Amino acid sequence: MARILIVDDSSTVRGEVESFLKSNGLDVATAVDGKDGLAKLKADPGIRLVVADVNMPNMDGLTMVEKIRSELGNTSVNLIMLTTESSPAMKERGKAAGVKGWIVKPFKGTAVLETFKKLAA
Amino acid sequence: MESTAMTQTAFNDRPVSKVLVLDNSPADSDVIKQFCSDNDLIGLKVRKDALLAVLRTNIDLGGVLYSENYGDTAEETALIAAQIHAARPELPIVIRRNGTATLDDFPDAQRRPYCAAYVSSDMSVLRGIIDQYIFSLIYPNALVRGIAELTESVLASQFPAWQITRDTPHIVRDRLIFGEVFSLIPLESHWCRGYMMLQAQEKPLLGLLARSSPSIDRDTDFRAVNSLLGELTNLIWGSFKNRYIGDASISAVGTIQVPLVVNQQHRYISFGTDNPQLCFRYKLTEGASDRCFTIVQRFVFNLNWSPEDFQEIAPESTGLISSGELELF
Repeated sequence: MARILIVDDSSTVRGEVESFLKSNGLDVATAVDGKDGLAKLKADPGIRLVVADVNMPNMDGLTMVEKIRSELGNTSVNLIMLTTESSPAMKERGKAAGVKGWIVKPFKGTAVLETFKKLAA
Repeated sequence: MESTAMTQTAFNDRPVSKVLVLDNSPADSDVIKQFCSDNDLIGLKVRKDALLAVLRTNIDLGGVLYSENYGDTAEETALIAAQIHAARPELPIVIRRNGTATLDDFPDAQRRPYCAAYVSSDMSVLRGIIDQYIFSLIYPNALVRGIAELTESVLASQFPAWQITRDTPHIVRDRLIFGEVFSLIPLESHWCRGYMMLQAQEKPLLGLLARSSPSIDRDTDFRAVNSLLGELTNLIWGSFKNRYIGDASISAVGTIQVPLVVNQQHRYISFGTDNPQLCFRYKLTEGASDRCFTIVQRFVFNLNWSPEDFQEIAPESTGLISSGELELF
């Protein structure tokens, strides 16, 4: 089954998103920051969708998605940002790195479930 | 402890401040009561034998209105003032004199606890003192109202089954910490630099988490409370940033920092400045049950405060996406 990788430094958010997606039949992995996210993605070719926070320690989410493209050379995985940030400049940076979509927290699972399923397929 | 002015429950975006009124004069009490009412002060009266306990536990005071007749003797009056000052040196103590509004005739040691003096026959002096020592920072009403709105919105999103009420925001001078757990996050823009602090008691939050997730052990899983408070902080910070800071260049922001000092034994935090803090108190109550918890939110603009440059970021007129919705690129 295709997997979704949730990257967020908040265990509250990771737990909330993971629990919702799993209860809807999706296969989920988690990472605690951008560095961890890169490592998990590199080790698991089954990941089809990455849902990442922006503000995280060690490596922020936008740097992580840029490195997914530039360092891992992975151009096929779908990237979504789930963050409190909504500034146009940050969104532009995300777009340039190939981010497909942007969600401003808080997470509302029912609003995004169908899209997540499609992007993870 | 009784209040000489009712704590307002209806939201008012003009901050108030709580002051201890230690004045036993019946002749002056009505004047002081009216003064408090006219000047956004909530006067709190306290019994003499409970004074130090109140000082140790009351976390959101703006100052003390004292009287030179508060003690039974001049010596006792001086002793109590010294005790208040020792217990809470950050609180301005203003003494009402019977003769003239001056501290000049006090010996140095006796003068030390007080910041200023007034007489009840000329309350304009006290008005100036209150402005100087309590309301010395101006908080724009639009900011105060906006902070309460965005915070309440975040709390409602995280606790949808809970009713949220809030006190009128207030100005505090004290540095005491409420509860056992608090978060700090920097706020940086061209018009403000400082911190937002959220404070909470651990036990009710842990109980809430344990009820919603059986895997959480209420005796050991304090980290779940840390994480919850951290995420609340993050959500409020994000909303604040999106509404008031936007894409403003951080390079324009100064690099000055000062140490923050926390004294755990005294539950005391210092931001290196005497600036008064903007404080909000939210109470969350679960449905019809009596379960409730309180979150105290403080804003400490200790590094820069330029309210004349404050502005709200105008939302883009098109393409607005609600929080939680996916904006596809």
